[in-house]
Amino acid sequence: MANDAFNALAHPLRREIVERLSSGPATVGEVTRDFGVSKPTISRHLKTLEEAGVVSRVIAGRNHRLALQPDTLAEASGWIESQRRRWESLFDAVGEYLEERADQR
Amino acid sequence: MTDPSGDVVRIERTFEAPAEAVFDAWTSPEVMRRWWHAGPEWETPEAEVDLRVGGKVRVVMRASDGTEVEAQGEYTLIERPHRLEMTWAFSDDPSNTQQLIELAFWESEGATTVVMVNSGIATDERRDAQDYGWRGCFDELERALASS
Repeated sequence: MANDAFNALAHPLRREIVERLSSGPATVGEVTRDFGVSKPTISRHLKTLEEAGVVSRVIAGRNHRLALQPDTLAEASGWIESQRRRWESLFDAVGEYLEERADQR
Repeated sequence: MTDPSGDVVRIERTFEAPAEAVFDAWTSPEVMRRWWHAGPEWETPEAEVDLRVGGKVRVVMRASDGTEVEAQGEYTLIERPHRLEMTWAFSDDPSNTQQLIELAFWESEGATTVVMVNSGIATDERRDAQDYGWRGCFDELERALASS
């Protein structure tokens, strides 16, 4: 769900991970280099991203590769666009109402 | 699609009317009832506005097939005619996100510019951590989408 994607992105560390993965799949080590936080902390953030379907993990032996799941992000983006259209129509209603009131005067 | 501050939705529009009139239009049940008239097939049979802090604002929108969407919120700040804030939620939002609507009104030479910022709120988290919330998320989202 869109909300899960937003929650997943609601932390600077997780946004940094997404940003690094935007240039292509990478290992956990590559993606979390120089973070300066403990491994359990990194694992927790990765888990949040995976559970939301923003990031997928492929395990090949000892090598864990992470990749972005563009569909999840596209869904979240589409939801935002539908919200925008809703609010634009409220602005339209405000504009029409004001015009009619001005005409009546 | 978004502005650099990363708010979920930011809309700015200028109306040829004084700030008081624009502010009052925003809090008018009549405007709420017209809201979906731009979309054919829709009507808004119910609209309620209780304009005081803690007061409710609520609309029920109905499609020709009988589908109803309810939206409601609570006013959290009322400074006529400059600022208006309310919580907001749509009944058909599967994530059941509670949102925050922030409106600012600026009058200049008889015209009033309204800026609306619609963001998601998670009340406790927002209190606990300044960087929590949707602000800042959407830039990353767009960047990720653009490059994926």
